[in-house]
Amino acid sequence: MDRHSAIDFRLTDVAKHPERLSQIRYLLADSGLGLDNDITLFVEAWSGTQLVGCAGLAANVIKCVAVDEQLRGANLSARLLAEVENAALVRGHFHLFLCTRPCNKERFARSGFWPIAQSGNNAVLLENTPQGIERYCRSLAAQRKCGEKIGAIVMNANPFTLGHRHLVEQAAQQCDWLHLFVVREDASFFSFRDRLDMVRAGVAHLSNVSVHEGSQYIISRATFPAYFLKESGKVQQAWSEIDVLIFRDFIAPALGITHRFIGSEPFCDITRQYNQTLHQLLAPQIEVVEMPRIKATGNAISASEVRRLLKTQQFSRIREIVPESTFAHLEAHYSARAEVA
Amino acid sequence: MKIVREALAGTQESSDLMVKIAPADGELEIVIHSEVIKQFGDQIRQVVNETLHALAVRQGLIIVEDKGALDCVIRARLQSAVLRAAEEQPIDWSKMS
Repeated sequence: MDRHSAIDFRLTDVAKHPERLSQIRYLLADSGLGLDNDITLFVEAWSGTQLVGCAGLAANVIKCVAVDEQLRGANLSARLLAEVENAALVRGHFHLFLCTRPCNKERFARSGFWPIAQSGNNAVLLENTPQGIERYCRSLAAQRKCGEKIGAIVMNANPFTLGHRHLVEQAAQQCDWLHLFVVREDASFFSFRDRLDMVRAGVAHLSNVSVHEGSQYIISRATFPAYFLKESGKVQQAWSEIDVLIFRDFIAPALGITHRFIGSEPFCDITRQYNQTLHQLLAPQIEVVEMPRIKATGNAISASEVRRLLKTQQFSRIREIVPESTFAHLEAHYSARAEVA
Repeated sequence: MKIVREALAGTQESSDLMVKIAPADGELEIVIHSEVIKQFGDQIRQVVNETLHALAVRQGLIIVEDKGALDCVIRARLQSAVLRAAEEQPIDWSKMS
């Protein structure tokens, strides 16, 4: 019998059927892959009673694609991808990203995925449209500003503190124009909309700053190809590189960015490593300017400190380390809890 | 027909094709990928253009991932994708030949 026609596809909702993951885990392990825990849906390919292929979906990112060794060469990965694309569209995701090892790039490129950026032999990021990043760059280019020194800052601002404001003010002073990107991913304590509002209010007094909504192409789930590299150090490095390369090769040219400003990072290892990658990969095209954090009452100001203080309702201490506009937001949205409690 | 939503049709099987359609403002952009583009690129492009013309599709992003499909299959997949992506409206079957 033709082994090709004997394959059935099945969707597994991870939340509803966690027990089905054990077989997927084995299949992934055979390909040297781990199972990412942000995957919500798996497409499984079955040949009789045997699981022979799988592809996972986490929001709009395809990952953990594996095919049984004996079935390789039968175009099964392309069929899996088509199934994932259909399942994703039903869930409202048309624009999809895919992370894989560079050795698989050609295979996925033949199935309708176009490479965006590659980190050495570790990771490559693809998307399922030939001009997703180009289209994004065109929209950015429309907001280009004249000047010799054009700066950029990318921040999560969770929430926007005096430290952020200091960094923006210093950068704006040194530049003809400053482009400020707010990370779009809604994975932080404060929602994207709230963070964007706080940033906009916090920099409203500066006349040479554009605040941009972040995108899939700047520090997002898509630019995080974590799953296929076991050592977490390597994972972080690959993630940093892909994100930085997209910035260097697409975003910066679209806006004519010459300088990227970052705050020094005394607390978080991931951010510190990311900063290092920026230094390594942006030079010489783009100058990286690292600024020391300002301090308040002895400690460097951090957004995580604000979140900690918020939990214990210490508003008087929060007031010392955030701008008035952020404080107003926090008080309006979070102080009611104290009265209830 | 006006493309108002994203849609897919077809598969990645050999002799088939996958069509992806998305709305685009004011422009019709057609991207064709084919394993047989060297031999049949012109022919495929012509079938795609004619089919879109017959359906009066004037704007949108059309991505065609061809795996060596026959002309009739290309037409059928394109028609399905366009109908899924277009506003609901009565179908003029005579144009679907």
